[in-house]
Amino acid sequence: MLPPSVHAQLAAILPGEALLTAPEATRPYECDGLTLFRELPAAVALPDTEAQVVAILRACHAARVPVVARGAGTGLSGGAMPHKDGVVLSLAKFRRILAIDPLARTAVVQPGVRNLAISEAAAAHNLYYAPDPSSQIACTIAGNVAENAGGVHCLKYGLTVHNVRRVRGVTIEGEVVEFGNEALDAPGYDLLALINGSEGLLAVITEITVKLTPKPQFAQVALAAFATIEAAGEAVGKVIAEGIIPGGLELMDQAATRAVEQFVHANYPLDAAAILLVESDGTPEEVSAEMADIKRVLTDSGATEIRVSKDEAQRLLFWSGRKAAFPAAGRISPDYYCIDGTIPRKALSGVLHKIAEWSAEYGLRVANVFHAGDGNLHPLILYDANVPGEADKTIAFGDRILDLCIEVGGTVTGEHGVGVEKLRGACNQFAPAELERFLGIKRAFDPHALLNPGKAVPTLARCAEFGRMHVHGGELKHAELPRY
Amino acid sequence: MSGVPAARERPAPTVVAGVVERLARDYGARASTNASVREQHGHGEGLADAALPDVVVFPHTNEEVAAIVRLCNAARVPVIAFGIGTSLEGHVAALYGGVSLDLSQMNRVLEINADDLDCRVQAGVSREQLNAELKGTGLFFPIDPGANATIGGMTATRASGTNAVRYGTMRENVLGLTVVTADGRIVRTGGRARKSSAGYDLTRLFVGQEGTLAIITEIQLRLYGVPEAISAAVGQFPDLRSAVQTVIVAMQHGIPVARIELLDELQMRACIAYSKLAGYEARPTLLFEFHGTAAAVKEQAEMMAAIAADHGGGAFRFATAAEDRSQLWKARHNAWYAALALRPGAMGFSTDACVPISRLADCVLETREDVERSGLVCPIVGHVGDGNFHLLVLFDPNDGEERARAEALAQRVSLRAIRMGGTCTGEHGVGIHKLDALVAEHGDDAVDVMRTIKRALDPNDILNPGKTVPPERRGQA
Repeated sequence: MLPPSVHAQLAAILPGEALLTAPEATRPYECDGLTLFRELPAAVALPDTEAQVVAILRACHAARVPVVARGAGTGLSGGAMPHKDGVVLSLAKFRRILAIDPLARTAVVQPGVRNLAISEAAAAHNLYYAPDPSSQIACTIAGNVAENAGGVHCLKYGLTVHNVRRVRGVTIEGEVVEFGNEALDAPGYDLLALINGSEGLLAVITEITVKLTPKPQFAQVALAAFATIEAAGEAVGKVIAEGIIPGGLELMDQAATRAVEQFVHANYPLDAAAILLVESDGTPEEVSAEMADIKRVLTDSGATEIRVSKDEAQRLLFWSGRKAAFPAAGRISPDYYCIDGTIPRKALSGVLHKIAEWSAEYGLRVANVFHAGDGNLHPLILYDANVPGEADKTIAFGDRILDLCIEVGGTVTGEHGVGVEKLRGACNQFAPAELERFLGIKRAFDPHALLNPGKAVPTLARCAEFGRMHVHGGELKHAELPRY
Repeated sequence: MSGVPAARERPAPTVVAGVVERLARDYGARASTNASVREQHGHGEGLADAALPDVVVFPHTNEEVAAIVRLCNAARVPVIAFGIGTSLEGHVAALYGGVSLDLSQMNRVLEINADDLDCRVQAGVSREQLNAELKGTGLFFPIDPGANATIGGMTATRASGTNAVRYGTMRENVLGLTVVTADGRIVRTGGRARKSSAGYDLTRLFVGQEGTLAIITEIQLRLYGVPEAISAAVGQFPDLRSAVQTVIVAMQHGIPVARIELLDELQMRACIAYSKLAGYEARPTLLFEFHGTAAAVKEQAEMMAAIAADHGGGAFRFATAAEDRSQLWKARHNAWYAALALRPGAMGFSTDACVPISRLADCVLETREDVERSGLVCPIVGHVGDGNFHLLVLFDPNDGEERARAEALAQRVSLRAIRMGGTCTGEHGVGIHKLDALVAEHGDDAVDVMRTIKRALDPNDILNPGKTVPPERRGQA
């Protein structure tokens, strides 16, 4: 419950329908796309002006009430899971595209604008917003910034951090600050990069300038079949090593192609152990030259069959199975758990081999569908939460995959964020010295740890629980740090 | 230009003497107090405002860097990282004395991963050295700020250069770092994975921090395949506006030009004289370079020629042979010396405005008019594809009034760019010369956040003190 004085202040800032406290009203906000973790917040605030955001943050800061910012709630790591004593600050009403500058190729948008809505609005100028998470129809741009979201196109066009020029936000103290600017670079520390992927821990975003990309004149996709998943993994490395950066480079294994085929009828080669989808985009001349190179490398890498899309309809059909992979996994298994580890491409083949081996060991099926070009794995562990012990086994299996990702020089999350889900993994990935830097930055923005507490950056105490922090001679380093 | 901030004081001479003595004992000849060595480490290539370090030390390993930083941190003595001394904004000046940490002997390429298109280098590796070592791998590192800077220095200043329009700046091309923090710990950030949404982005925080948050000792860099074909073209225009408009339209069409450089009439005159360029006129000029397959390069060049012709550009001259291209780009790289030769005896400095491409014409043309009113000699060059241009401001060092006029002009260029939604520094960094402009651009609240980050990561203010972020709000100091 909110302290009554804070409730009164929020009620004075917001109209009645924009402040929710009854459990039946706050229930829809209890989790994000990671439904494993749920919590009812003390209140949900739905402001529609920046001044209201400032006032809400000031009131919460003064009373030391936690604040969790939220977009569309499509996140996959629990980053928007509420705090039980806190306020969920929904940016859902900030849905306006404020300006599009076709010459500078930028759009100024409010935080609650959907990812795809930007591309739709920019289409009139033959431009689009390149990062395309699978949830782009629903997810908001500020959520993308908070998680540094990726997508199929990121291999060639960069992650969210590469496609955002400027972010305007409000600190927990209610100061309005701007990071980056409309030009190529901004002087001083790159705070814009800090905000990207900060998972709502540093500031509440109220306005974003994104970079727009010219729509390619032409695109074609090659579908290549392989007899083993390792061979497909190696082919990925060879394509990149040739200096080819495809517009998209995705891998699906047999479990995945078989699952999706019955819905999309893409005519995937179902006897292949794995397929690659390799897209080339640009002018027709560039695409035809690049496609010839791609086919050559795929053939040399042992592809058993290669099909190149003949027209736009077929290109979209080839992609349809990839886009439908997650819902399809939901159809063949009661539950699935999606992992987001990212590894150097060189390690792909070995890691895929290990996952197959462990799948047999745990007796859990795995479907692999992922952004192979940038080494971002998404193994879907298929399980049934109603079978006693299976969820625990799934988590143990997932943790083992993530530990392996770190071991080969990768990260526990390529594009979904740490949230609450991967705190253990983050303890393993980051050395104490690096975590201390993180906590120092957090304190610089939010000394009382009120913005999205308990997420994204594990406290050193949390890591000690996981057995990672070295306490020497009973002396705890940085005893002044908040530990909870 | 702003004065030296007053928040910090020089450490006591006895304290400095203790540090110098300890370094001499540990590093022998690799710790130098020789006057000319100190003088060489007291300034970059910008305006002369040399401030000498007390000692210059040449470490060889991360552990040595860490030990030196720990020593300085304990004694509260400044440490200033030094690469090769090509920075332009006073980044390496030892405002409060202290230790200049010269990383030039940490110059090994540690690994090249051809399959993953990346490599790891020590901070003292120079840009040309790296590309020489990449010969034969089919890969190259594209970022080219002109000078043969060290990779460490380019990372610390978030450098870009002539082909940022195609390959981005250091921000887009640094995958991970090893740094030594102010308390002397060795921290590795980022990694070989191409993307990560785990933790705060320390890598990018350390890119562009100008040695004020940590000492960069190793850099993981993204590499690119050497393009199958490269061609260059030159277009000359009747006036500055048509040249700039050509760039804007080209960008609007999304032509993936690798470099576009603008030289105004005055700069072109200087280059023709200095680099003996035959067959060109002293008119506003654009240099283009196209990278890609043979077919793509040809197609890009033809589209570009058509756009230029629409804007009154004369016939394109193409240079496909490597020697012809390198003559052109050598002339561009020597633009600075060519400009200085316009006025023998003059000194010069460069502005670094960068604006959204939609405001480029306004910004360049207003600046040109401003120059004419000022009565100064200031050629313009620019990597205009990304909205960045430089005014090379020449002045007589013996004429105080003229220097003041020159500085006022530069200040107006910075403010004009900021007013147009741009920045006062597209690639040179803040150093000491752009501290005021930093506040003008970001506002005091955002600069406050930078200050708190500086305090969080370097509580004793030993890392390159007085640079990048003004220590106090004006009026509080």
